[in-house]
Amino acid sequence: MTRIVPRSLIRGLCTRLGAGNVLSAPSELAVYDCDALTVERQRPDAVVFPRSARQVADVVALCRQHAVPMIPRGAGTSLAGGCLPLGGGVVVMLTRMNRILEINLRDRLAVVEPGVANLQLTRALAGTGYHFAPDPSSQGASTIGGNVATNAGGPHTLKYGVTVNHVLGLEVVLGDGSIVQLGPVENPAGLDLIGVLVGSEGTLGIVTKTWVRLTPDACDYRTMRAIFNTVDDATNAVSQIIAAGIIPSAMELMDQGILAAVEEAYHFGFPPDAGAILVIEVDGPAAGLDQRQRQIVEICGKFRAREILQATSPAERETLWKCRKMAVGATGRLSPSYLIEDGVVPRTRLPHMLRRIAEIGQKHQVRIVNVAHAGDGNVHPILLFDERNRQQVERARAAGREILEECIACGGSITAEHGIGVEKIALMQRLFAPADLGAMGRIREAFDPAGLFNPGKLLDHAEELRTCGADCQSAAPPAG
Amino acid sequence: MGQIANLPRLRQVSNLPHMTHRMMSTSTLPLTETIAAADEAAVAAAVRDAGQHDTAVYPIGGGTTLDYGARPSRPGIGLSLANLRRVIDYPADDMTITVEAGLTAAELTKCLAEKRQRLPIDVCQSNRATVGGLLATNLSGPRRYACGTIRDYLLGFRAVDGRGTAFSGGGRVVKNAAGYNLGRLMVGSLGTLGIITQATFMVRPMPEASAVLACDVPDFNTAERLLAALVHTQTLPAAVELSAGSCRQDCPALGPLPEGHVARLFVGFEGMTTEVEWMGGQLRSDWRQLGIDSLLSASAAAGDRLWQWLTEFAADLQISVLPSATVGMIQRLLDLVPGGSIQAHAGNGVIGLKLPSSVLPFPLGEGRTHSLPLPLGEGRGEGASPEQPHDFALWLRQQLRPAVAEAGGCVVVRRCPAGAELTACEVWGPPGDGAAVMRAIKDRFDPQGILNPGRFIYDP
Repeated sequence: MTRIVPRSLIRGLCTRLGAGNVLSAPSELAVYDCDALTVERQRPDAVVFPRSARQVADVVALCRQHAVPMIPRGAGTSLAGGCLPLGGGVVVMLTRMNRILEINLRDRLAVVEPGVANLQLTRALAGTGYHFAPDPSSQGASTIGGNVATNAGGPHTLKYGVTVNHVLGLEVVLGDGSIVQLGPVENPAGLDLIGVLVGSEGTLGIVTKTWVRLTPDACDYRTMRAIFNTVDDATNAVSQIIAAGIIPSAMELMDQGILAAVEEAYHFGFPPDAGAILVIEVDGPAAGLDQRQRQIVEICGKFRAREILQATSPAERETLWKCRKMAVGATGRLSPSYLIEDGVVPRTRLPHMLRRIAEIGQKHQVRIVNVAHAGDGNVHPILLFDERNRQQVERARAAGREILEECIACGGSITAEHGIGVEKIALMQRLFAPADLGAMGRIREAFDPAGLFNPGKLLDHAEELRTCGADCQSAAPPAG
Repeated sequence: MGQIANLPRLRQVSNLPHMTHRMMSTSTLPLTETIAAADEAAVAAAVRDAGQHDTAVYPIGGGTTLDYGARPSRPGIGLSLANLRRVIDYPADDMTITVEAGLTAAELTKCLAEKRQRLPIDVCQSNRATVGGLLATNLSGPRRYACGTIRDYLLGFRAVDGRGTAFSGGGRVVKNAAGYNLGRLMVGSLGTLGIITQATFMVRPMPEASAVLACDVPDFNTAERLLAALVHTQTLPAAVELSAGSCRQDCPALGPLPEGHVARLFVGFEGMTTEVEWMGGQLRSDWRQLGIDSLLSASAAAGDRLWQWLTEFAADLQISVLPSATVGMIQRLLDLVPGGSIQAHAGNGVIGLKLPSSVLPFPLGEGRTHSLPLPLGEGRGEGASPEQPHDFALWLRQQLRPAVAEAGGCVVVRRCPAGAELTACEVWGPPGDGAAVMRAIKDRFDPQGILNPGRFIYDP
């Protein structure tokens, strides 16, 4: 299955990038055989570390010449296998392009290379009064390039949107090896290529520079943590808050299972029979916040919240957030391995969805605990299993699949912020009609006719083109 | 429904299901006839039919932006979406809405207002402009500073491509990373990749209160100083607008710009009543500290009229630069176009320029015709004499575009003047980075090139 990469390609890469920036010995490649989706592994044929757009363009030109696939990669935190070198190829590591090139407050933008970690940018902006809004849980490691590739979100997307809402411009190496700049001026003529490149999971080109929009820091916050008897009460409170016309900056849900894990690890003192907690934050000018907080407290009370804590200092706010931020890590105490799903449903369907997740877990005998960006209807069920037990692995994957199918049945989607990668590629046909997948296939073909950027990810390229041709003919009712 | 002149012949189409007719003004398009589709199947059938006869198709919504884009390259049929006007689904608690493309912006606003929600996009002529047209043109108004553009609200859509195949993109949930974001590509593509038949939007709660504060600016240095100061304001403006030049004497509630001032800066706020009041007070004190005394503010009712007035500014040209280059660019524009009128989304660097009708060498919309040459500005360029009529396209190429390119910006002709006969390159500018990919996408969605041929960027 592994492709034989011609020696001439390796030599070419060494010449262009310097031998020190090219790995091709099998022992050196093992680290790159998977990302944060660890249930699938495949060793690449080579790994390169370009340091400039020019070098990326050289890599693209050389790979194209030899018809060898390229897999762009940042920190490798993809939970969907977005960086899996399916069928081998050259992994293009962008982590050494990690400079913040410009912070321009007057124009409210920053210019960064793809390997800059999300948190690195956040730290560089501290004290300026501005920040980069997307804050995925992986932000300590995940790179801006990776955030762009997956259209990353985080807890604050409810109010502030996802990555695509915060990208003003891109420098991209296209399939023909050309380096193009899109933006950063608003409203350029032509098609919004930026909009389609963001979230394209490295399948349309390799981003070498990003102009990100900076968002003013909130002047004040009110952070609350409410404990509910049942998940239903918590999710109903979420719906009610939104229906009251309040857009909190975050509204995070944790269910009993994950609370138990967090409690075991960090001893926050949650009552053991608590059904769910919500961490709710509103931000904005101080003038309106107390009123909003009162409304939220009232709504939580209506749904029998048994305890509502309100942070009165930045330190207390940190504490309230801590249990949410440590949640996923704490699952390590429960099980040797876990699979985090990323489903999304209309938010009023959340109570139903969380009930179904519990049922599906029982059916497949998989323990499932939940965190959710509840305000967005975005659930992150964490399926616990032991990787060494093939049966358990299979059961977890089957349960994961069924959860996502339920999301589709609820009118939702199979990913809100992690991407399709390899993990969900088979489900694309459940979510979209052949004509829809055909349209996506045409976009991919327009960008990358040779099909060398991250093949086998996001959508089954060859398959879609084939189906599209057939279906588009048959879908059309006979004229006349 | 008013009868409008210059109506092309209407065709009774027997082989297209559910066709009805509707009158509309389509005088700027080379239409042999206009048909009105009743549903998506009819749109698909009409496109397929046109494809078989290699006839161009010009999708038409409310007919408010038919002069947007370059000169159509060949005659064809007008395909009206005005009868696709259903609200398909409005789960208000999910804050999403799915509607058909022919629904007018005003109807959409009304529907959302019943649940105290809104789509925070400013729309010109909202009684006529349709959802489909809004998406195709991607026009926006003052609120884009805080709220973004319609691209930020489109969650999913259905459309018919140039082969007559219906397809969809996105979904009905507020957060969705499954597959390519085709919606972003469709928005602003002027119907050249597909004819949008249905759209799902994320909507927002209606703000409780809004206010507009303004001040008159004595010189452009002060304008830049005020704009730069807004970067560090504690307030959260919803809109930051700058008006300059002539023809802006009709400002409701605030009156004309007094002598000795070059521009008027507007800052809009929205939110809870307490927030809006606090932000207004805060900005007043910020401005006082910056030495601005002549503060203007509008009452709530007048404030609505002001928003409306800011929204309805019908620019002939749109110039985009970085926000920091906005004031410099405005000065340059006023220099290049004496008598021009400007309204800028100054926080975004998006500048609208209205040409003075008295100096135009060509008819420019209803009742705005003239035959005098456009001055080239203080002897710049060859042949600046008024005796020698100038070519608008030449002026764009030789004067305006280089000046804007120097500032790293770009120019789009928003209203293609009848008789100006502009090519795509003249309207949209020379092909930039990514042009080859755009062309490749177009070829795959409309291989025969029948959707709005000539009007968009593809044929410079």
